[in-house]
Amino acid sequence: MKILVCISQVPDTSTKIILKDNNTAISSDGVTYIINPYDEWYALIRALELKETGVATDVHLITVGKADVEPIIRKGLALGGDEAIRIDAAPNDAYETANYIAEYAKSVGYDLILCGKESIDYNNGTTGVMIAELLDVDYIGFATSIQIEGNIATVNREIEGGEETDTCNLPVVIACQKGVAEARIPNMRGIMAARTRPLKVVTPTAVAPVASILSYEMPPAKAGIKLVDPDNMDELVELLHSEAKVI
Amino acid sequence: MSVLVLVEHTEGIIKKKSFEAVQYASHIAKQNGATVTAVVLGNAQSSEIEGLGAYGAQKVLYVADARLDELHARAYAKALIVAAQKEDSKIIIALHDINGRAVAPRVAVKLKAGLVAGALSYPDTEKGFVIKKAVFSGKAFAFVNILSDAKVITLMPNSFQLNKAEGKATVEKLDVSFDEKDFGIKVKQVNKVSGEVSLADAELVVSGGRGMKGPENWGLIEDLAKELGAATACSRPVADSHWRPHHEHVGQTGGTIRPNLYIAVGISGAIQHLAGVNGSKTIVVINKDPEAPFFKAANYGVVGDAMEVLPKLTAAVKKYKETHK
Amino acid sequence: MNTTESVKAIKGGEFLIRETAAESIFIPEEWNEEQLMIAETCTNFLAQNVTPNLNRIDEQEEGLMAHLMEEAGNLGLLGISVPEEYGGFGKDFKTAMLVTEKLGAGHSFSVAFSAHTGIGTLPILYYGNDAQKQKYIPKLASGEWKGAYCLTEPGAGSDANSGKARAKLSADGKYYLITGQKMWITNAGFADIFTVFAKIDNDENLSAFIVEKDFEGLSLNTEEHKMGIKGSSTRQVFFNDCKVPVENLLSERQNGFKIAVNILNLGRIKLGGGTVGASKDVISLAVKYANEREQFGRPISKYGAIRYKLAQQAIRTYASEAAIYRASQNMEEATDMLVESGMDSIKAKLKGTEQYAIEAAIIKVHASETLDYVVDEGVQIYGGMGFSAEAPMDRAYRDSRINRIFEGTNEINRMLTVDMMLKRAMKGELDLMGPAQKVAGELMSIPDFNAGEEDGLFTKEKKYIAGFKKAVLMVAGGAVQKLMAQLGKEQEVLMNLADMLIELYVSESLQLRVEKLVGIKGEEATKEQLDIMRVYISEAAERILKSGKEALNSFAEGDELRMMLMGLRRFTKTEDFNTTQARRNIAAKLIAENKYCF
Repeated sequence: MKILVCISQVPDTSTKIILKDNNTAISSDGVTYIINPYDEWYALIRALELKETGVATDVHLITVGKADVEPIIRKGLALGGDEAIRIDAAPNDAYETANYIAEYAKSVGYDLILCGKESIDYNNGTTGVMIAELLDVDYIGFATSIQIEGNIATVNREIEGGEETDTCNLPVVIACQKGVAEARIPNMRGIMAARTRPLKVVTPTAVAPVASILSYEMPPAKAGIKLVDPDNMDELVELLHSEAKVI
Repeated sequence: MSVLVLVEHTEGIIKKKSFEAVQYASHIAKQNGATVTAVVLGNAQSSEIEGLGAYGAQKVLYVADARLDELHARAYAKALIVAAQKEDSKIIIALHDINGRAVAPRVAVKLKAGLVAGALSYPDTEKGFVIKKAVFSGKAFAFVNILSDAKVITLMPNSFQLNKAEGKATVEKLDVSFDEKDFGIKVKQVNKVSGEVSLADAELVVSGGRGMKGPENWGLIEDLAKELGAATACSRPVADSHWRPHHEHVGQTGGTIRPNLYIAVGISGAIQHLAGVNGSKTIVVINKDPEAPFFKAANYGVVGDAMEVLPKLTAAVKKYKETHK
Repeated sequence: MNTTESVKAIKGGEFLIRETAAESIFIPEEWNEEQLMIAETCTNFLAQNVTPNLNRIDEQEEGLMAHLMEEAGNLGLLGISVPEEYGGFGKDFKTAMLVTEKLGAGHSFSVAFSAHTGIGTLPILYYGNDAQKQKYIPKLASGEWKGAYCLTEPGAGSDANSGKARAKLSADGKYYLITGQKMWITNAGFADIFTVFAKIDNDENLSAFIVEKDFEGLSLNTEEHKMGIKGSSTRQVFFNDCKVPVENLLSERQNGFKIAVNILNLGRIKLGGGTVGASKDVISLAVKYANEREQFGRPISKYGAIRYKLAQQAIRTYASEAAIYRASQNMEEATDMLVESGMDSIKAKLKGTEQYAIEAAIIKVHASETLDYVVDEGVQIYGGMGFSAEAPMDRAYRDSRINRIFEGTNEINRMLTVDMMLKRAMKGELDLMGPAQKVAGELMSIPDFNAGEEDGLFTKEKKYIAGFKKAVLMVAGGAVQKLMAQLGKEQEVLMNLADMLIELYVSESLQLRVEKLVGIKGEEATKEQLDIMRVYISEAAERILKSGKEALNSFAEGDELRMMLMGLRRFTKTEDFNTTQARRNIAAKLIAENKYCF
């Protein structure tokens, strides 16, 4: 069974966002880039587990980006994986990304495609669904556990107000969140192997953009906090009702 | 020309956030001289369906197939495409929730349409079709311009005040022929967390952190939540230590919520936690450490021991409810 | 690291008499991608396994430290320097230093780790025969077995060779029977393998033995109650006719002291790495606290008194670090050159390291004293909470103190620094006489005011450092001339000279580091590092002056004294500038980044 893991590069969680170029771009000065945590901790690790238990034969990592994303691809390879693919492009949005990945996936033929539930930079969560649509397969999002037996995927997923257990035939696209696997620290063997595992660069068929970001804006500064005496909770309730109007 | 809206219901009752989606669609429709067509899939109560008119829908198309009471994204997408073709819809609205997020991107692909996921504003048509959404887990906002002819939007719930008006919608049956593969995902088991408000859609949330000292103290949080009619949440260390179930974890690598009121008890306010809750309208922080960073992100703060403050606050809420019946 | 003929690294100790080209040194800003991944694994390991458990570790929860060592072993961290044929990763020395640095923030774990990978493993790795290496090294590298090292005794600390532990051959000639008492043995509570030093019969010098914990006659005392690193197992180990198979004699009889000294060279520079890692961690905590704690309506990071401390912490740490990686690279290059010339790799490693034993001793002193400064001001910045066991500074403060004591006390290391310099000079390996005489000659002549000198970014600092070298040569030359054989007994003078050498070496290393960095990143992006360099060198000049004066006043007199004092002042003169503003700049960057960021 072949698994494709979609990983994307994002700024690390403690990055301060600074706008530049008249608010049309995000500054990358001093920014540390990481693999999107949902992709790394859940999707990639689960794929590796499936290989370690003999369920999968191949685990491939795929990213869409220019050469500057290769360091994080190698970080992924340091955790494991048989090969990585970089689709050489700078996509404007998920539609393009999904098309590039689907094109490649179709050319190889994967039984399972895993990704994170969303990326922490754009918080869309749309790429995985679009890949599924382009490949005409099912998609299960917000997965909290994944079991594969033969041709069947059994997936626990989050639903409103609880959880649901679904089954579905392979091939399928599954977007992962907490519960699917536990994050790992790359070990020395993996780090040294990362250099030797193949990293293919593929040129995609161009896709006309359907959306693009025009500009950014920082949130307004928060008005000063109002402190309330702990012995005066009546005042707090009153404020929440009449001032904040939330109760 | 019609703006299409996917409407969601639970056991026949239309979700409040779906009214928000219809209202949102109505605003856009007025901008473009179009009508609003709501699409209801599965068995919603007819009284509920009629109520959609009050939020701006001129027409409701319903697909009576009971299988659609559960999310089957390929079937939903198919139904929306059929409806879009019928109504000549170029703009499709869904909610940015679990269901909407599984369906809207499929529709976008089918229509080769640009998709804005998590809209916070109405489209600005001056520079194109520009919609605001949150990025970097709420640390910034982006203005996304949809370039394609067809446009798909998922609306962030609780972003606009809901205003009920007058209006009636005509209700029409929609026939869609489905394939087996549209129902390829089989539901084996459903575990709903009983009797409590769902965290994702809750308007009021009470959340606890390590300052609560241990799971045995959570009764105080639950009491306040019950009195307020709020959902409960927690910070990452609490979930990692298994004091609370992991679906309660809100933060950068947990859930993102945007309630009207978020009460954070014994949570210091690390950036990663804030990322999950910075969309809240009002934040109240209760912490015994006056230096806790969370106070900088809060609207109201109480410096005090959670064990003492919580019962007092619960009592105050109770008193307030009794005197304001 | 490629070095052309013109920028070949200088030999150990030569920093006193020769210049070094900035391009020839290694600076931490040059780590490659793989090294950074390894560093991240170390940091993540601490964050996940050690930092959340510091209290449990300090309480010596049963089995916890051994378990952590095994987890580190699973990640491959215990085998960084072990050759691949024994199950390790055979990485270069700088990478091993980086690992030590990153794990340096691990408090008691860091000590257990260093003891295991250093003194616990290297004696066998470097001096073992094939059978011994095959038997012990793979399991030490994987963490299945844990290592410890028994040299110190209740009566033999600094004077290690005076140890009373004895070994005698059994009647049947199959065993050595070791009797003795070893003290302050790190990891003893859970170690499987001990490298034990004892004298065979009436030998003058120590021999070394590999002792397994289950050998008959080995027992442990209870855990010592210590000021700090409470989580590190520290016990006395008793040997009562402990039966050690003769095959477990390590290296030749009476080679023990040499083994100990060579392993110590590595241990000293590694200690430097570990303490720099700890310093960075403490500084980050201090900055964060200062940014959050408000008094009089503002975060205390806005106050000058706090900014001064933050800047000083960073300045000293950045300087220590410059020296450490410069010397690490020197050791690595020297080793590589010897291997290229045909020497056996282990012998080359020992010789290459020994080359820079002086630098290693300097680094040990400077870095451990830097950490003590950093934790002391760290407590101060935390104020009342600095004194509380609920906040991290208490542990940092207590855990730091041992670094000035073990691996050779700082006093011993200071004296060794001078001793080794002079010994090499006497052996003709280091020409101190010539340069010292040149300086003496300069004292007589009129100072050259360097009119029309090229005014580069580093011209001033290079001039100052050249002056520092002259100051040291002058005072050392004078001391040798005046005191001759008695110099060895004048410890105060040795300490003065050592302090001058330390400040010189660190100043130069820092200057070279910043010069190389500016070459890579440009002046705009390195303003704070330039400030760090300038402030440190200006302070170093004053310290060199003070030490020099003290030494001169103790052995020189009359006109000679007057002349040398004048020379000393001339050689340590630096231009005044606004050091307060420079420190403010450095502090501002730390505060903006909310962590150690240099």
